[in-house]
Amino acid sequence: MVKIYKKVDLTGTSCAGPIGELMGLMDEINQGEAVEALLKDEETKNMVVNWAKTVGLKIFEERKEGNNFVVVVGK
Amino acid sequence: MKRIVIAGGGIAGTIAANRLARQLSPELEKGEVEIIVINASDRHIYQPGQLLIPFGVIDTGEIIRNEKELLDSKIKLVIKEISKIDVQNHSVITADGTAYNYDELVIATGSHLQWDEVPGYRAVYSPWDLESAQKLREVLQSFTGGTVVINVAKLPHKCPVAPMEMTLMLDDYLRRRGLREKTEIIYTYPVPGVFGIKTTNDVMIKIFEERGIKVVSPFNVTRVNPEEKTIESQEGEKLKFDLALGVPPHKGAKVIEDSGIGDRRNWVPTDKFTLKMKDHSDVYVIGDTTDLPISKAGSTADFESYVVAGNIVNDIRGNNSTKLFDGSVFCYIATGLDSGTYIRFNYNYPPVPPPPSYVHWWGKLLYNKLYWTVTAKAIV
Repeated sequence: MVKIYKKVDLTGTSCAGPIGELMGLMDEINQGEAVEALLKDEETKNMVVNWAKTVGLKIFEERKEGNNFVVVVGK
Repeated sequence: MKRIVIAGGGIAGTIAANRLARQLSPELEKGEVEIIVINASDRHIYQPGQLLIPFGVIDTGEIIRNEKELLDSKIKLVIKEISKIDVQNHSVITADGTAYNYDELVIATGSHLQWDEVPGYRAVYSPWDLESAQKLREVLQSFTGGTVVINVAKLPHKCPVAPMEMTLMLDDYLRRRGLREKTEIIYTYPVPGVFGIKTTNDVMIKIFEERGIKVVSPFNVTRVNPEEKTIESQEGEKLKFDLALGVPPHKGAKVIEDSGIGDRRNWVPTDKFTLKMKDHSDVYVIGDTTDLPISKAGSTADFESYVVAGNIVNDIRGNNSTKLFDGSVFCYIATGLDSGTYIRFNYNYPPVPPPPSYVHWWGKLLYNKLYWTVTAKAIV
């Protein structure tokens, strides 16, 4: 069972963008840990999932939550 | 008497303190409320102004004032290092062992540069550091051409638009000196593009293309070799430079770590709407100190100060009302040494910068000057 280090709400506008925010968090987590990210829409979710796969991160969970999407991403 | 302690006297702490003093003026006059700002230094630096120093737009003296002169006369200023913020016992402890108990606390301890997180990064000049900004001014004056690499080491950092500004001002500076044809400018950024917000990136990247600025991204720096003059990335790039400009990694203050109240990068968990520290009803967090994914910028702190001050006033007066932060940010973006644009956004509405114009450059300079007499003093 992966340990959730932090839950982050990335539905709002952020200067770093969702990937920039997650990238910083990924540097902080250890093996077996993940971040649960709340994302605004499916396009953002797909972008995050593709980025995570490209850089060798693991996607532990993807789900729809109301109009938003949740991705659990980690190591 | 109720005591409000503000931990930190940078942009966020100063604006919050002054806004509180204005709103609680009757209570301060009657001695029912006390506001204390605790800061390690009596010097207040307007950090966004540091970006203009290397290009000779302003001088160092224009961005430094005495903190005491900026604060409302009814605010007590304590010049001491904070050694611990004890939220369980509602107390801020300074390095000399004095405990300042509070009824309401505002944490404004800011973000701080971590030069040594990336090996060799001290070879990079950075306007994010005042001394380095001053040195860069001298270096640019004697620069005769070559390859300039601009790098952002890690996100988030303060003044998120400033790397783009630095690049475009450098481009203009070199054109004016007849050196642009002899210089290659390479912009490296951790995420794809030149900026994290897509609507803004789409506009800005076109300006970079028009100016002939090469963009290498994503580029996550792993080391800088000062002898070889190279910068390397996780993605496997190795770029040679004659001059490197950049943004070192940022972290929240060490006292956040020492107090055990932050995440692993010392950002304090904060409610995105009330700006209260999570699980603490008498602690507010403002400015760069929060863990909110928005923008670590002076304007963010200014917008947040309305919410923090308003909610503390409500708490103190027993008003059953809560102000909510909408994620507002406003940043001018210099696109040269006489042109600029801006972004204004909040949680729900991403920004599209208008076409660059002289008016926005002038607005940026004016905003810098008005900081001392209007923004810092919470006049509006």
